[in-house]
Amino acid sequence: MGKLFVGFKANAGMKILTALLIMVGFVNIFPFIFMVSSSFKPLNQIFEYPFRLIPRTVTMINYEGLFSAEYFFTRWYANTIIMVACTILLKSAVIIPAAYAFARLRFGGRDKIFLIFLATLMIPGDVTLVPRYVVYKLLGITDSMWSLVLPNTFDIFFVFMMRQFFASVPFELTEAAIIDGCSHSRVLYRIILPNAKPAIMTMIIFTFIWGWNDYMGPYIFITDNKKQMLTVGIQMFQNGYAEDYGLQMAAAALAMVPVIALFLSAQKFFIEGVATSGIKG
Amino acid sequence: MLFKYYRNLKIEKQESVTGLLFILPYSIGFLLFQGLPFIISFIISTTNLRYISKLDQVRFVGISNFSEMFQDKSVVQALTTSLKYCVMYVPAIMLAALLVALMLNQKIYARNFLRTMLFMPYVSNIVAVSVIFSIMLSPTNGIINTMLRSFGVGDPPMWLLGTETALPTVAAVACWQQMGMQMVIYLAALQDVPKELGESASIDGANAWIKFTHVLLPIISPTTFFLTITTIIGSLKNFSIIQTMTGGGPGTSTTVLPVSIVRSAFGSYRLGYASAQGMLLFAVVMVITVIQWRGQKKWVNYL
Repeated sequence: MGKLFVGFKANAGMKILTALLIMVGFVNIFPFIFMVSSSFKPLNQIFEYPFRLIPRTVTMINYEGLFSAEYFFTRWYANTIIMVACTILLKSAVIIPAAYAFARLRFGGRDKIFLIFLATLMIPGDVTLVPRYVVYKLLGITDSMWSLVLPNTFDIFFVFMMRQFFASVPFELTEAAIIDGCSHSRVLYRIILPNAKPAIMTMIIFTFIWGWNDYMGPYIFITDNKKQMLTVGIQMFQNGYAEDYGLQMAAAALAMVPVIALFLSAQKFFIEGVATSGIKG
Repeated sequence: MLFKYYRNLKIEKQESVTGLLFILPYSIGFLLFQGLPFIISFIISTTNLRYISKLDQVRFVGISNFSEMFQDKSVVQALTTSLKYCVMYVPAIMLAALLVALMLNQKIYARNFLRTMLFMPYVSNIVAVSVIFSIMLSPTNGIINTMLRSFGVGDPPMWLLGTETALPTVAAVACWQQMGMQMVIYLAALQDVPKELGESASIDGANAWIKFTHVLLPIISPTTFFLTITTIIGSLKNFSIIQTMTGGGPGTSTTVLPVSIVRSAFGSYRLGYASAQGMLLFAVVMVITVIQWRGQKKWVNYL
């Protein structure tokens, strides 16, 4: 009992700090609480003060409105899911072998090629917006999801991240297999990949979240309403038609469900991936 | 046939053939989607390109896009606004992230829960964020101003709708949204700091502030350096948050360079002129990065 008391006293400062951080944390997520709560309120209650967490009258009218025929909400949702899934599959297929080669295979000019690729990290995407538009137009991929999938697939950032991770797998694990005549694709598939699950998860999660939330890509490269992605789609609730805040809040809430769910279920990878995969430089 | 040829190669030769084959798909895609656009942006910026469908009308115009750009008040103003945004956003987010990471690094309770709460805005959708904040920050009946009025503030700010307040407001929302990432990176760096260092400094009689400025800050300086560079670059490519929250307004108060590029390209169909502005943005990023790279010797300590 006495021991517990002593511990309590020594930790009093930490209790205060915890309380302070919990307050900061709640202020930090208040916009989301506000969003979810408002999405169940009728329009005339959204601006009521003081703020009520539980609406006076709970209504589903906003959610029902999203699925009315004049919007393509389900279409946008499906488009985004398909686009993100394609990006993840294609990116894994292309980047994993490349990162393996850059990390563990010796060939002429390897490090020079990698450094040149890496230098493009310094070029912000907004700089090459116009030439990208020109190239995609000439390739005929504007107004399709490929104008979002393909550029995201060849993101050097993830080659860098995976290369760091692959290089940290001990060479003793693979050397014997190679001397025994095991091919590199087998080594990659059987030895490296099972050891690289956290890195692959990190790549998948970041690809999902960045792809899902991308605004500039669909805004610039997709004009057909039916082919639009969710992010730009929600904005149509904002700009088109009458300003229906309840509808916007419901759309925003539904758009955030997959990312928040993914984040909460996989945050171990998400947060520790940042620490272990060399993103901190 | 080819396979047999490969099998008969020496093991080193096999390795380099495999290596090249493994990077081939990536390299082709990279050149097409990252390399090619960068190279042709130089070419496009010296032409009068307007419509992709009328490539035969394209003329080489030399540096006239660039000379026009530097006399164009709206472009110069957009550049200034971009830099202003950078100056507001970068120190604020770095300080906030470091402060929160320092607190999370203490022996607090429920650390993982708190970290989750503080990180959450990072995964949120930018349009959703703009919708939520435009409602909460509405000058007439938004929750923030209603609250301020109830505290006796007679004339609360216009937030996103005021010419003076719009840019700082967007910068603040961007800090809130992006801070989680910086925080996690700082936290990872802080957790790598050896405990003995702080203890030996305590024995030497250093107080908490001296320990912080003379031990902790120098140790995490490589992380600070990395974050400063990436945050500055990030703050200059802020099209999405500006476009969704203010659309560049009110007036031209939040028209940053990327917004100006998009307007020139897709509003007035001057792709050549827009590309020249892209080059300007690139030059700014390069100059800032080079200055930082040169200056790092003075304050970055690599162990």
